[in-house]
Amino acid sequence: MNIKKKDIASEIFTGSMADISFLLIIYFMITSAFSATRGLDFALPEETDTPEIKQEDSIEVHVMSGGAIEVDKKDLPLDGLLPYVLEKLLQNPEKPVILRTDPDATYGDMISVFDRLRRANEEWTEPIEGSEERRALYKDVKGNDLTEIKTISIPTQREIENIWNLLGMG
Amino acid sequence: MALIRGRDRGTGAAIFTASMADIVFLLIVFFVLTYKVEVDKTQMNLPETWVRKKVPEKAAVISISPPDKGSTIRVSTGEEMALPVSTIEEVITFASTEVAKNPNREFILKADKDSPYGTVDEVLDALKQSKVKYIYLLSEQLTADEG
Repeated sequence: MNIKKKDIASEIFTGSMADISFLLIIYFMITSAFSATRGLDFALPEETDTPEIKQEDSIEVHVMSGGAIEVDKKDLPLDGLLPYVLEKLLQNPEKPVILRTDPDATYGDMISVFDRLRRANEEWTEPIEGSEERRALYKDVKGNDLTEIKTISIPTQREIENIWNLLGMG
Repeated sequence: MALIRGRDRGTGAAIFTASMADIVFLLIVFFVLTYKVEVDKTQMNLPETWVRKKVPEKAAVISISPPDKGSTIRVSTGEEMALPVSTIEEVITFASTEVAKNPNREFILKADKDSPYGTVDEVLDALKQSKVKYIYLLSEQLTADEG
């Protein structure tokens, strides 16, 4: 007697795979964060007890309430900031820029001035064709390339008060 | 042989779905790889800047909510959800603990552009006191016509 071999169905049921996949896609799309992941980097100096910077050796940028700026106690439009700093740094490239902001000014006012100072690298250099490097447009008195502002210092209110106290002005 | 007229020949009208699985899995893989939990979900208008550097992943986050939301300061290690702190001393404690674990620990400062600078100044001062070395000020891209 011939025994017929039974065909056993050996299929994996994939009918619900599409549902599961779309569910996963929707979950990851909704929970995935499309947040800002870029910003201005800023390295803080090591805390010291005595101020290293003498006021007359630096360029003082004062951001006032409303966003107006004073540079070395003179009113200046934001567009005039980099040309002024460039002129000073060509004489002394080591000159630090001190960015001081009024507590009543907004964070946005301070950031726009800080960003303008950081843009110096882009404005004072030009791209070299076929290379990612940039060429300096200006040379300082010693003949060295001037490509950026070396030191931008953002003292906090407490540090400013400490300096004033040290100078006997507090 | 007689030709049968008007008979439905059954032309296939199915949508080809065989590649759907590939597309769907490609999307899943993309979202799995780019998946990142936002540790601070405070809605705010970030300041716009021309210069923008990529912030390091898993950096500690300090956020200051907009003035109309109470200028609340929140801190996060970058892995857990941000928690509100009530005093600036708590920020110092948090930052000091993070710096003690890793002296080169990076911090992201996320603040609304309309926040009074006085509040930001207090946070920056707290970070300076905690011997933090690197801070990233989170911003949006400034476009040419705005600059």
